[in-house]
Amino acid sequence: MQFRKKYVVILLLACTVTLLVAALPSRKEKFKNLKVLPENISSKDLSRVMIDDFEDGLGVSCAFCHAQETDSLRLDYASDAKPEKQIARRMMQMTIGINRKFFNLKHPKIGDSTLVISCITCHNGQPRPGDETK
Amino acid sequence: MKKDDLIPFDQNDDGIDRAGFLKCMAWAGTGLFCLMSGGVLKSYGMSQIIDKTTGRIKKDIQIEKADFSFAQISDSHIGFNKPANPDVVATLQASISKINAMPTAPSFVLHTGDLSHLAQADEFDTLDQAMKSAKTGRIFYVPGEHDVLNDNGKQYLQRYGKDSKGSGWYSFDFNGVRFIGLVNVIDTAEGGLGVLGNEQLNWLENDVKGLSSSTPIVVFAHIPLWAVYPQWGWGTRDSAQALSYLKRFGSVSVLNGHIHQTLQKVEGNITFHTATSTAFPQPQPGAAPSAGPMKVPAEQLRNLLGITTVSYIEHNHTLAVTDIPLSNSDEKQPEHQ
Repeated sequence: MQFRKKYVVILLLACTVTLLVAALPSRKEKFKNLKVLPENISSKDLSRVMIDDFEDGLGVSCAFCHAQETDSLRLDYASDAKPEKQIARRMMQMTIGINRKFFNLKHPKIGDSTLVISCITCHNGQPRPGDETK
Repeated sequence: MKKDDLIPFDQNDDGIDRAGFLKCMAWAGTGLFCLMSGGVLKSYGMSQIIDKTTGRIKKDIQIEKADFSFAQISDSHIGFNKPANPDVVATLQASISKINAMPTAPSFVLHTGDLSHLAQADEFDTLDQAMKSAKTGRIFYVPGEHDVLNDNGKQYLQRYGKDSKGSGWYSFDFNGVRFIGLVNVIDTAEGGLGVLGNEQLNWLENDVKGLSSSTPIVVFAHIPLWAVYPQWGWGTRDSAQALSYLKRFGSVSVLNGHIHQTLQKVEGNITFHTATSTAFPQPQPGAAPSAGPMKVPAEQLRNLLGITTVSYIEHNHTLAVTDIPLSNSDEKQPEHQ
């Protein structure tokens, strides 16, 4: 009887540990081919940068920078086929640099609300700043 | 529609020009009541038909009793927290309260996409929780582009598309009306235009092939299936192909979201209608450098958000579309008599 109780206790402990592990925040998603944004960025943070900084800041949709898959009309987010994506990377580096150099931010990050200069500062809803014809 | 409301300069053959568009926009936010009968649309500003002292429909206006009704809700953007509306859950709940305050509970609710802002599990959870409080038989969904970010819609499909085809399209019958939910946010086109794609178009053609031409059709999808303002991606590249399969039907209603404002157009037998958002307004086409969340004075926000209700009258196959802004939360709902 004592022996069986021991097994029940061990089983309960094992179940508790399993449930606790399952309840812990999951490992951050890995996205392919991130070169300026952190590799371990969460899905939420990445989506927020894409929507707030690029979509709203430049007035563009995903296909402005992201190329389609070769065999479908879906987007291949990892692809570098469109030059706009490389330009976006340079722009992010420039934005980080401006915030660090001229506004003394120690660790500026794209998407961070503490940035003094962000995409929309110059773009104001336009793909190319100052281009009213779009 | 009055003679003055006709659009004389239809350069793009889409039934709308800038002047006409602005005329349509004058209706937006004030609430709109539309009755379609035999392909002819009669529209009235809500202020014309609602008696302000009672909050009910004026006595001299006759509205036929509906056989059933449903509500459309759109662009909830759960997770959005910018100044344009820092509490999108509250405005979604206010929209659901509007549905629950209807004199007769709608048979079902259509959500025309952008349930979430960033396609996150917790955002979908919050939406599901809120939608549970809607007093209706069932809720049908189609995705918006915000619901398919990063994963091309896998999570959306797991949650909301179990009985659907392809990337989430489906159809069902209700009281003799064929409802068709389409997905135009997975495939992409330059400029952000929606795309239905060949697979879905083939399915649509087959889906309606066996139907009698007298079957009323209701199509719902996120991005408008007409060229509202292609410069901002407010249209669907291959929608003409889809609509060609529906031309033989006597009554076709197309319900969309995406542009966060009410607009409508009648083209032959097809009535197009876009719904307001429950989250935040967007600028009128061309009135800002680009589309996006528009901050308005707090007291005006709920004038620009709301729901759409649709009533169906069987004997003459009419669909009456009514937009209800959130702002008149203390007023009684009009009764359909």
